[in-house]
Amino acid sequence: MLLFGKAFTRTLLANGLALAVGPFCVLVQAQDYIDVEAERAAADGRPASAASSQAAQPAQAYPVTSYGIGTAARPEQSASTAPATTVAPAPVAASGNNAGQLVLQVQQLQQEVMRLNGIVEEQAHELRTLKSQSLERYLDIDRRLSLLAGGSVDEASPLATEGATAPGSALAPAASSAPAAQPGAAQPGESAAYQAAYGLVREQKFDQAVSAFQQFLRDYPAGRFTPNAHYWLGELYLVTTPPDVEAARQSFMLLLDLYPADSKVPDALFKLGKIQYTKGNRDRAREFLDRVINEYGSSNSAAVKLAQDFINDNY
Amino acid sequence: MKHLTAVLVATVFVLATISARAELVIEITQGMDNPTAIAVVPFAWQGNGTAPEDVAQVIDNDLARSGQFDPVGRGDMLARPSTQQEVFYRDWRAINTEYVLIGRASVTGQVQMRIEYELFDVNRQARVLSGYEEGHVNDARMLAHRVADEVYETLTGIPGAFATRLLYVSVTRNPGGKDFYRLTLSDSDGARPIVLLESREPIMAPSWSPDGKHIAYVSFETSRPAIYRQELATGARVQLTNFRGLNGAPAWSPDGNSMAMVLSKDGNPDIYLMDLRTRELTQLTRHYAIDTEPTWMPDGRSILFTSDRGGRPQIYRYDLRSGATERLTYEGSYNARARVAQDGRNLVMVHQAGGQFHIALQDLVTNRLQILTSTDLDESPSIAPNGSMVLYGTKSGDRGILAAVSVDGGVKFRLPAREGDVREPAWSPYMNR
Repeated sequence: MLLFGKAFTRTLLANGLALAVGPFCVLVQAQDYIDVEAERAAADGRPASAASSQAAQPAQAYPVTSYGIGTAARPEQSASTAPATTVAPAPVAASGNNAGQLVLQVQQLQQEVMRLNGIVEEQAHELRTLKSQSLERYLDIDRRLSLLAGGSVDEASPLATEGATAPGSALAPAASSAPAAQPGAAQPGESAAYQAAYGLVREQKFDQAVSAFQQFLRDYPAGRFTPNAHYWLGELYLVTTPPDVEAARQSFMLLLDLYPADSKVPDALFKLGKIQYTKGNRDRAREFLDRVINEYGSSNSAAVKLAQDFINDNY
Repeated sequence: MKHLTAVLVATVFVLATISARAELVIEITQGMDNPTAIAVVPFAWQGNGTAPEDVAQVIDNDLARSGQFDPVGRGDMLARPSTQQEVFYRDWRAINTEYVLIGRASVTGQVQMRIEYELFDVNRQARVLSGYEEGHVNDARMLAHRVADEVYETLTGIPGAFATRLLYVSVTRNPGGKDFYRLTLSDSDGARPIVLLESREPIMAPSWSPDGKHIAYVSFETSRPAIYRQELATGARVQLTNFRGLNGAPAWSPDGNSMAMVLSKDGNPDIYLMDLRTRELTQLTRHYAIDTEPTWMPDGRSILFTSDRGGRPQIYRYDLRSGATERLTYEGSYNARARVAQDGRNLVMVHQAGGQFHIALQDLVTNRLQILTSTDLDESPSIAPNGSMVLYGTKSGDRGILAAVSVDGGVKFRLPAREGDVREPAWSPYMNR
């Protein structure tokens, strides 16, 4: 049976024959999979026909290298065929019937446990993913907050870091081509009110922070920190329970419309992209993300990298 | 009369296939956008008669197959230098060549061959590599592959994997009778096929020892599956297992001392570990689901395998020290037959997407999944030892063929055999010289 070395004649004859009748070859293709039914039967010690066919037809019980193609629909298949094969001996005898029932039940339980196992695995994975995402989001907010909390608002706020040279100077954003509203100078009490609202964010009192920022906007509709307040409201609407995505979207859009040259714009654009993505508007989301990259790619805004990562992850 | 005709037809095919048995032919289907232009000038032959092998052509083909190079056609070359003095950069700049490889081949002693080579950077006008390879005349192709490896590494920074070998199983259908199985060893370009084993019963799951000197495979020659280990140099072989039920998917540990395998001797398929010195068996997984297709992480600390313990086939990792099992794949309802690149990061596997079976790559650090192939019914991925290419089996029409894709999906080529079905490729590790 085993032909070591060069059994040319026989080999080639076989080749020739196989080629000559090539079209029929397809019909007898051996398959590269485990016959699950046979395996299960063997495992259960079931004297089913599958078990005996294992010895007679190696092509069916083929080992192993692959789960192979064609077994993808296996669970359903075995779930549907298993009862038929095991129930078959039922009319034989009462004891046989009981044994058959038991085997059937064990099989069903095993299938069920496997299915549940898969669900648990997937949900655990989802949880881990969500956890790391929410941690990421928290760290993101925390990083921005500590940036602002790091010193006096004047020096640490993103507004100040962009273009302003001295605390007292007009805090116009660096790119000033846009003719839209510019935040004015800080009014008396504005800084304190803003800081107070911030404090609430830092303490993770998000609901109170929302109210505080809303009040801030009522009191200082054209203040120095107004763009920031719009931005943070947008952020906060996303983390309140339940999140108000539409309100968040509007806050970010407001920032975009009123202060298109503000240094918070790239961040707002990124957030808008994410919002659209969660709403299922992939194309719309992509427009925002692309804008971040195209318009602010040369700046050192963190939003550019975030947008790029988001695109890499999701597109 | 009818019978006679059949015999005649058979004879014709016999004659036609004598020179071409299971040899693989390479067709490049997709290359990179901006391949590097390199001229591999025919090497000067310093010996009697004609050279035993067109060394430069072998190198040329290797570089072209990588998809990263665009070798200059010989007809376009304005000169054919074989020494540094004969290299004039303007000849090469004129045809937009970035690098020029020249060389000389000679016979030293009875059967020793020596290949000297020099690589020039046309833009910098400098020699960037020179060296030589020596070996048996019969190994001229392998010497050429080694030169290609050196050139590839110099120009890309990645070690070449041309001087490696492939194992694959080919099946010749024999309707009405038993199919004919062959386990074949060839160079990485499919040339010089050597049939290691022929059988009327299935041969499966060929795999390499980490030093490339031994192979293992599953053969049904005793009418039931058994795992064999075979020494390539001598052909000596040992039957490692002969248990009831499945004996399959041998996978050598990176230190070469043990072998993971699938056995169903205790009822249903589980992963076992065999100590190759003592033949002692340890059962690693114990689950009523099917655990199969073990493969090692390169650090030898854990084994990946396929299991349907979650209802659907997915890849799991078994940690050999803690015994903990962890699921690795979550995307898609079917992920099987994992192989991990030497960097321990790129995991390739068979992945079902849209009802089709593709080869996919999962980055084990970011867990990002990338589908590499667009063919269907792809199976048995095997990674080149330098991690650059994945070889796999697929279907072309009715026939099983081998195909390869780069790990970034950018370069693709096919290695269809001239006859029969080919499957289950196994790319060798680096060969010790």
